[in-house]
Amino acid sequence: MTRKNRRLLVLLICGIGLGSAAALTLSAFSDNLVFFVSPSDLAKSGPSGRQVRLGGLVEQGTVEKSSGGQAGARFKVTDGNASVPVVYKGILPDLFREGQGVVVLGVVQPDGVFRASEVLAKHDENYMPKEVAEALKKSGRWNPASGSPPPASTWNEPAKPEADRPRG
Amino acid sequence: MTHLPYIVAAYVIAVGLPVIFAAEAFFRVRSARLRLEAIDMRRDRGRS
Amino acid sequence: MLHRFANPGQFLRLSGKVLPWLFWTGGLLTAVGVAWGLFFAPDDWQQGDTVRIMYVHVPFAWLASAGYFSLAVCSVLSLVWRHPLADLAAAEIAPVGAGFTAVCLATGSLWGKPTWGAWWVWDARLTSVFVLFLLYLGHIALVRAFDDPTRGYRAGAILALVGVINLPIIKFSVDWWNTLHQPASIGLTGAPSIASSMLWPLLFSAIGFSLLFAAITIARTRAAVMERRIRSLLMAKASSAGEQEALS
Repeated sequence: MTRKNRRLLVLLICGIGLGSAAALTLSAFSDNLVFFVSPSDLAKSGPSGRQVRLGGLVEQGTVEKSSGGQAGARFKVTDGNASVPVVYKGILPDLFREGQGVVVLGVVQPDGVFRASEVLAKHDENYMPKEVAEALKKSGRWNPASGSPPPASTWNEPAKPEADRPRG
Repeated sequence: MTHLPYIVAAYVIAVGLPVIFAAEAFFRVRSARLRLEAIDMRRDRGRS
Repeated sequence: MLHRFANPGQFLRLSGKVLPWLFWTGGLLTAVGVAWGLFFAPDDWQQGDTVRIMYVHVPFAWLASAGYFSLAVCSVLSLVWRHPLADLAAAEIAPVGAGFTAVCLATGSLWGKPTWGAWWVWDARLTSVFVLFLLYLGHIALVRAFDDPTRGYRAGAILALVGVINLPIIKFSVDWWNTLHQPASIGLTGAPSIASSMLWPLLFSAIGFSLLFAAITIARTRAAVMERRIRSLLMAKASSAGEQEALS
């Protein structure tokens, strides 16, 4: 390889790298800046026929796992103000449960049902050992279905034992 | 539910890369030092 | 002060003393953190044992950004003060930073598949870290693209400084926009939202990998200084031999 060719190749690699960096930044940060829309946003815009990502919490008591051979589920995604019914055929992620944050990719049908082709579970910033979660739930300080847990600084306090409480 | 293959793969990558980098750096430093000493020795011999 | 450290001879002496300590403490802390995270840290109530990937993912994510910051500092030293040592250091930091960023992306992907249900998504956090990886690659290629090394160093320094804009984007992407990636669990302000039994092994592996990163880049810079000295000695010898031939 001559020196000129090598320079050409290196410059080409540079150009491709920088060009794709710029392109990715632009495409990701202009119209895809927001990875998902909320159920309230979706209710405002109505069915558009376009593929969108919908993010929110799986509403309590709305999950119906489909019976029969095919994996899938019907559930509602809510942000507290609006909720959108979703149907999905496919394998759900391990973290999927009621009260869990999810991002679903799909299209709003004319009847208002969101037909999802992909369901992703969103993890929150809380990292909590199983034992702590059990203790918090047992002591009634936290219900996973109702929202995020109390601050981590309080987790290590022993679950208020019965003896500490005023008797009578 | 365990995801052991994912965990093992992540740890192998994460520990392997610094080990490779460290070994490469070690050998680079050693070979440079040896070559430098060889040049200095030849120069000293030339002077005497 | 700065000039003393920028003196290559002084750097060789100092780094020779510091390096063994950096390597051994870094290796020891990393071993403790990795063993703790892999065998003794508790399972997460939601993620189960997949949470263990965090102990290797988070340090590499932090070092991907911190490494780029050190690259930018070297670039300023090179552009403004013309320290020859800063040029050599920058050229040696970039490949290590690229490797650590690649590990950050790979371990994150290995965590994302079981947790989210996807290897990769183009959300703002993942995309901006991928751009950081491309910036490292661009720097590696640019520094080596010129016959005159000084021009390569100069171009690389300019690229590194242009790319600094990406660092705050990475940091705040999870707060500014809806992303699939979760926001930070540990911040300078506010209590961490992570159990202390999980925070301790993370601290060990983060400090351990950071010391290893520092040790690797210093060792590489040390080698680069010696290699440059070899080149100039050989060149001086060749030219003096040439003179002698011309005289005789």
